[in-house]
Amino acid sequence: MTSSEEMPHEGTEAAGPPADELALVARAQTGDTAAFDELVTRYRQRAFSMIYHMVRNEQDAWDLAQDGFLKAWKNIGRFRGQSSFYTWLYRILMNVGIDWLRKKQIASGTEFDDQIGLHNIAPGAMTVPRSELEPAGRISDQEIRTRIDAAIERLSPEHRAVIILREIDGLEYSEIAEQMECSIGTVMSRLFYARKKLQAMLKDVYENI
Amino acid sequence: MKTFEERTTAWIDGQLTGAELAAFEKELEAQPEAALDRAGARQLGDLLRTHGTAPPLANADFFNLQIQQRIAAGTPPQPRAEVGQSGGFLWSLPRLLWAGAASLVVAGVLYVALVPAAQPFIEPSNYFAQVVEAWPSDPSISATTVYNPQDNLTVLWIDGMDYMPSEQLALQ
Repeated sequence: MTSSEEMPHEGTEAAGPPADELALVARAQTGDTAAFDELVTRYRQRAFSMIYHMVRNEQDAWDLAQDGFLKAWKNIGRFRGQSSFYTWLYRILMNVGIDWLRKKQIASGTEFDDQIGLHNIAPGAMTVPRSELEPAGRISDQEIRTRIDAAIERLSPEHRAVIILREIDGLEYSEIAEQMECSIGTVMSRLFYARKKLQAMLKDVYENI
Repeated sequence: MKTFEERTTAWIDGQLTGAELAAFEKELEAQPEAALDRAGARQLGDLLRTHGTAPPLANADFFNLQIQQRIAAGTPPQPRAEVGQSGGFLWSLPRLLWAGAASLVVAGVLYVALVPAAQPFIEPSNYFAQVVEAWPSDPSISATTVYNPQDNLTVLWIDGMDYMPSEQLALQ
């Protein structure tokens, strides 16, 4: 069974999901597509952003976010309301994204080498592999985005997910571990290596803005 | 016991406290570059949060519409990476017919090529061999024919000779 076929187990949230959201989910569970459409409207931007951060491409993110919602629709009967709908959806989306990245990796025959350069670069070293940036010039926003996209694209799906969940979405280690179904130690270790690699590739960027 | 990677990550994120923090920072005294590394990691986080954000979802209403259409269709398309690798039953039916026809052709070719041709059936002859005349040098030698209809075989039987020289085997 691939990760995309696994339906997430619900975590527990102290506050619990909002009542109106639960009502929408309950209606959707009876086959009410209008209620599900309302849920899509509520979370489409967050879902799209989450997937976009992983795949770094608008069209793919659009399609995969739709796939995630469709998967949620097909399995909405398993949602028990112990967490927010988005927490439940979030893991579906993440699995869709990771699964797609793995298939893309297999199809292209490329491998993500998470160890590239790490052993050759001392922690905190002042000299890191530089790219095409002009050292004297200020970097444009577009160029920064391009550099970030290129750097993230070189991470493995797991490292990509962990850096996005932590740095962009601001999740705690335990939340990331729950979403990725791994230990907190694994999350922290992946975060260590993902940061190291991104630092090596983007140091000249964050030091020049 | 946490690994060095785990403790470094917790240290960068400010999640080490108390004795654990003190012990780790003592350990890092021999690595002055560690402080730079932590600063770099935090700058990286700021960079990703400020410049790594996703663009707004374009054509948001159409996004909803497509989802509704896929729900109504009942059979959502397969994930993008799988498109072209497999298909549904209706899609595969013509393929099955073509595959069946092709299999028959291949089987025919293999049969012709590999199975040895059967022995042609020979109708039993209506004729039979008979010794009409013989000129033996010894009167004790006689020649007769024996016909075996099961094998469609006629045997010339020469009795009274120890052997027959090969140059005299030609029959007329």
